Amino acid sequence: MEFIIAIFIGLLYACGVYLLLRRSIVKLILGVLILSNATNLIIFLSGGIQRNEISFIPEGSEVANPEVILDPLPQALILTAIVIGLGIAAYILALKYKYFEKTGTHDLDQLSKTDQK
Amino acid sequence: MIVSLPIFLPLSFMIFAFLFRHYRGREYIAVAAAFLNVITSILLFSQTAREGMLKLQMGDWPAPYGITLVSDRFSAFMVLIASLIFLATTAYSVRSVDWNRKSFGYYLFSFGVLMGVNGSFLAGDIFNLYVWFEVMLMASFILMSHGGERQQLEGSIKYLILNLISSFFFVAGIGLLYGKIGSLNMADIASKLMKYETMPPEINPAFILIFVGFAIKGALVPFFFWLPASYHTPPPVVTALFSGLLTKVGIYSLIRFYSLFLYQHHEFWQPLILGVAVLSMVIGVITATSQFEFRKILSFHIISQVGYVVMGLGLYTIAGLAGAIYFLAHNMLSKTNAFLVAGYVYHQKGTLNLKILGGFYKKHPLWAIFFFISAFSLAGLPPLSGFVGKFLLIKAGIEADHLGIALIALFVGFFTLFSMVKIWIEVFWKPEDNMKKLKRIPQQNWSIQQNPLWMTLSSGGMALLIVLGGIFASPIVDYCYLAAESLMNPQLYVDFVLN
Repeated sequence: MEFIIAIFIGLLYACGVYLLLRRSIVKLILGVLILSNATNLIIFLSGGIQRNEISFIPEGSEVANPEVILDPLPQALILTAIVIGLGIAAYILALKYKYFEKTGTHDLDQLSKTDQK
Repeated sequence: MIVSLPIFLPLSFMIFAFLFRHYRGREYIAVAAAFLNVITSILLFSQTAREGMLKLQMGDWPAPYGITLVSDRFSAFMVLIASLIFLATTAYSVRSVDWNRKSFGYYLFSFGVLMGVNGSFLAGDIFNLYVWFEVMLMASFILMSHGGERQQLEGSIKYLILNLISSFFFVAGIGLLYGKIGSLNMADIASKLMKYETMPPEINPAFILIFVGFAIKGALVPFFFWLPASYHTPPPVVTALFSGLLTKVGIYSLIRFYSLFLYQHHEFWQPLILGVAVLSMVIGVITATSQFEFRKILSFHIISQVGYVVMGLGLYTIAGLAGAIYFLAHNMLSKTNAFLVAGYVYHQKGTLNLKILGGFYKKHPLWAIFFFISAFSLAGLPPLSGFVGKFLLIKAGIEADHLGIALIALFVGFFTLFSMVKIWIEVFWKPEDNMKKLKRIPQQNWSIQQNPLWMTLSSGGMALLIVLGGIFASPIVDYCYLAAESLMNPQLYVDFVLN
């Protein structure tokens, strides 16, 4: 299972990098979003994929049995990363909208007005 | 308790700032809050200097499980310098940021940057460090594009995409590291790594990813391209704030990671880090010489000066690290002040093109002196603070038998002097050309034409700090040596946090 997900993450990274290298700003943004999700999956994979119990302390017991439960921490980390990713996606789309309003272009090659001539 | 104040204070100001967004006296409240932040930083600094290390377990969860905030001598020093820079830029912005930007939360987001920076300095947990990075980046994205002028938006897109990619590198590294080690607490990871005789090779990919993340954030060669493409676009005071705080956080984290984890695989990391340092120093300074825009020259110099700090880290001796810490603090102050002077030049002339400017020394001698102090401190002339920093680093390089690198550092200092003299001659000494003055097109209305007393006060205060840091260097250098000693002994950090 880990092997399949690892290949899948690799594919996602490939798609993300491919989109980053396109000229359109919208595709660039899509690329960034795909990369962010691929990275979240890496954290998910770091906890290991196994068929185990849910991470609860059983009733009447003080501690959970580490043999049967899965590590819940990576999922908490992904939750944080997803929320941050959401905020960034909202901001970056707003920025794109504003940029389009100002310049009327989607072309990344037009972003050279502030560079050295 | 005191450890959380540098984070808690900006956060409470941000919440409070919503209430007086449109109130006319908001900038004075912001200056007062920044001043309060300096006081708490001094308290934190003095207590840390006395006790060596302070920690705070958030929510009282014991160390490897909960989030830990740790303040050691290095981080407390950085928090103090950051608070001074923040006070200067906040006071400077009273007269240099326009009413619109202030109404739409300029102070709110600048305190957001401060909160993220202080959080990154104090974090004792790698995922928490990532979250603070994101807080800092999010606020800086907004400040970068705040106002929505065309060139700002262009700069923001470049800045945003490349910094997001650096975050992905960092998070992917954290994920792999957690998969291998099973902990996120820095002290816990360090203690687990210490148990190995030699570092297991499968951990290195995680650290390589994290290193690339920090290198992008710290603008090291070959990952620096976002910095000169974006730093000259926002209002000058924003550039000053960013140049003082943001790249330095990446370098701070690199030093922290090196002293806790990477030193165990020294023979692999040292050549890499020294190579990156030399390339950054040389490429940064050489690319700067071809520029003819005030802020672009200074931006390229950030890369070169970050290289000096990383060189001190790469030597990994007590003298080298102490030099790196001193140089980091000096560079934060001098660089910020150089950008503040650029802001004043823009305020007066409406352009920063060196070919058009001129005659500034005649009309504004005080500001010429401020620039002289900060620029020649960057170039390393005695008795300013830059001289002490470069002297410590080059001496450490020679003592550590890296004579070639020490010579390159000297050589780069010469080129830095060349760039600074170029700005000095073009902006301050050369008589102003009236023909060119007519052709000038005013670009943006970044400044309000009012009494620049606040600007003079903040820039003058920074210049005074730079001079004092050079003349009274001895106690500061002693402190840096103490901080470097505790960095070189990670066992102290581990024992303190885990017990």
